[in-house]
Amino acid sequence: MLWLVSAQLVNGIAIGMIYALMSFGLSIIKGLLNIPNFAHGALYALGAYICYSAVSMGLPFALGLLAAFAGAALAGWALQRFAIQPASKSGYLAQLVTLFGAALVIEQMLLIGWGTIGLSYSPPPLLRGAVNLGFTVVPKYIAFASVFSALVIVSVWLLIERTKFGAYLRAGIERPDTTRALGINVDLLLGVGMMMGAGLAGLAGGLALPLVGATSTMGGDMLGIAFVVLVIGGLGSLYGSVAAGVLVGVVQSLTAIAAPAASTAIIYAAMIGILLFRPQGLFGER
Amino acid sequence: MQMTPTRRAFLSYAAALGAAPILPAVAQKTGTVTMGVITPTTGTFAYAGDLVARGAALALEMHGSNVLGTNVRLLTRDDEGKPASGVRRVQEAATSDGMRYFIGAYSSAVGLAESEVAQREKLLQFAAGGSEDFTGTRCGRYTFQWSAHPYTAIRATLEYVRKSFPQKKTIYTLTADYVFGHALLKYTRIVAAELGFELVGNDNHPFGERQYTQYLTKVVAAKPDILLLNTAGADAVTAIRQFANFGADNISVVGPWTLEVDQLAELAPEMRTGLILGQNYYPDVDTPANKEFVAAYNKKFAALPGYSSAYAYDAIRTLLLAMENANSVEVPAVIKALERMSWDGVLGRMSIDPNTHQLVRPYFVARCKPASAMRHTADFAEIVATGNAPQPSQLNECKQMPEL
Repeated sequence: MLWLVSAQLVNGIAIGMIYALMSFGLSIIKGLLNIPNFAHGALYALGAYICYSAVSMGLPFALGLLAAFAGAALAGWALQRFAIQPASKSGYLAQLVTLFGAALVIEQMLLIGWGTIGLSYSPPPLLRGAVNLGFTVVPKYIAFASVFSALVIVSVWLLIERTKFGAYLRAGIERPDTTRALGINVDLLLGVGMMMGAGLAGLAGGLALPLVGATSTMGGDMLGIAFVVLVIGGLGSLYGSVAAGVLVGVVQSLTAIAAPAASTAIIYAAMIGILLFRPQGLFGER
Repeated sequence: MQMTPTRRAFLSYAAALGAAPILPAVAQKTGTVTMGVITPTTGTFAYAGDLVARGAALALEMHGSNVLGTNVRLLTRDDEGKPASGVRRVQEAATSDGMRYFIGAYSSAVGLAESEVAQREKLLQFAAGGSEDFTGTRCGRYTFQWSAHPYTAIRATLEYVRKSFPQKKTIYTLTADYVFGHALLKYTRIVAAELGFELVGNDNHPFGERQYTQYLTKVVAAKPDILLLNTAGADAVTAIRQFANFGADNISVVGPWTLEVDQLAELAPEMRTGLILGQNYYPDVDTPANKEFVAAYNKKFAALPGYSSAYAYDAIRTLLLAMENANSVEVPAVIKALERMSWDGVLGRMSIDPNTHQLVRPYFVARCKPASAMRHTADFAEIVATGNAPQPSQLNECKQMPEL
């Protein structure tokens, strides 16, 4: 039994890191714009399709991931510049509806551009097969995806916490009016922040391509989990989403031992439980 | 200005409302037979919606859009792969558009919910899907089942595995947690016992699951000879993608009712090579009606048909044949004709069991080819076995077909 728990723990941490990457981008956008990005799932799907197209053209997978990040970041910038910014003048609700609409538009564009048949891609030969840990086997690609996600999160963390740009960004999130008064272009910061968040969604999509393929509706599946992670981590906490992502992956994985059919439902039940006893989430401050 | 309804106006409205329920019947008698194609164009089975519509339209077109001198029209509705939506669409189409025949649904859960409406509104339903309830506990005089019975599917698939891979003896099942998966699991247990397989584990997964590694970790740890997927659609595609990442080549992946031709394109060649899949339909089926169908489909759509299109094509073709056999377009007469007739269908010589309304038909087992052996882009597999063992009568739970 102990080996099975250990095996599911390893699997849960690996999957949880991918959830964390997705939720980290969502958390950045929530912090910047103070709105939940309902188009985040569609950007994730866009990243998967861009990555697929890149590798289909013969580019290495690494460049496919880069293209997924860049393409989704560009879409995020366009979304901010031409949809959210104009809608912000009409208030919070208008922005929410705009993001809902944008998600549907992106999904339909994916269908038009790539068709209704889902797409699959096998990882590069180096990442195929599994690593035997003695008590369990872990697919090499899942191990790679989790380590890669962790590295990306750490890099973005360093960018935000240890650079001048990051200081501006944090100031723009926490005190936008004061930041403007200091002569900093907050709108530009918001645009760059949106690009970063959207790019991370696209990167997560590219990373998920060998695991879940590319379908126009894949964003909706992942968005549900990403919001659960965001709420559990705490809406005000950028890094809470990372811890919560891993937690959700582990809980989901461990539940599969005793009640496999409930392994998805359990994460929603956990979210309700946490909201009841700690409405600000595990790491939220307010 | 405020309008006060006059007594005459009130009576007119009342008469109009009273007549509303019989309007569809009037429409039916005035020269057009309306057939519904209630199928998912969104949701988990979204890929199938257009393909079903294509097959239905082709069957009608090849019949001249006419039967017994009466025009036939098709109307298509999206059931979203959801029972509630399917029921609503069937009810709306019957009430507003005079629909008296329909094919659907593609998903068992949706089709079973629609079956209730079919019995209540006296609509002839030609269903597809893997639940045994269509012809079992929830059988009805107005519902016919085109797809094979789960017993037939499991028996044909595992019989092939037993004969071709006698050294493979242990099975781990992954089962979709709804009626379809449960039916397959029930018959997996029965057939495995009949053929001498040992079931070493099973996990039920929720419908629409997108994360399978937690189940697959258990599968790999149990070291079975066979991973049997009692799941279908996007769920099965995702499970196979993720299993491919484990590199467990010594475990054979078998899907008795898992992926049809339409979906094999969703898997990369190295993910599908060697898969053993039960098939309700495969384009290589060697019958005159199928050759005619494949040629016409290929000419019109520049593609090979799959299960979705074949189901719709054959169901509509069969309904039109039954109308001619009955010399009537009235639902009760067509039902009686279906119950007694035998015909050359797409799958071969076909008939319907009048006690259950299950189509008596063959089931095919296909083995996926490596990319190097494919003759063209859609040459995914070859038929390696055919089975037609019907569900043993003692296992059937359809008590008695009600009177019309």
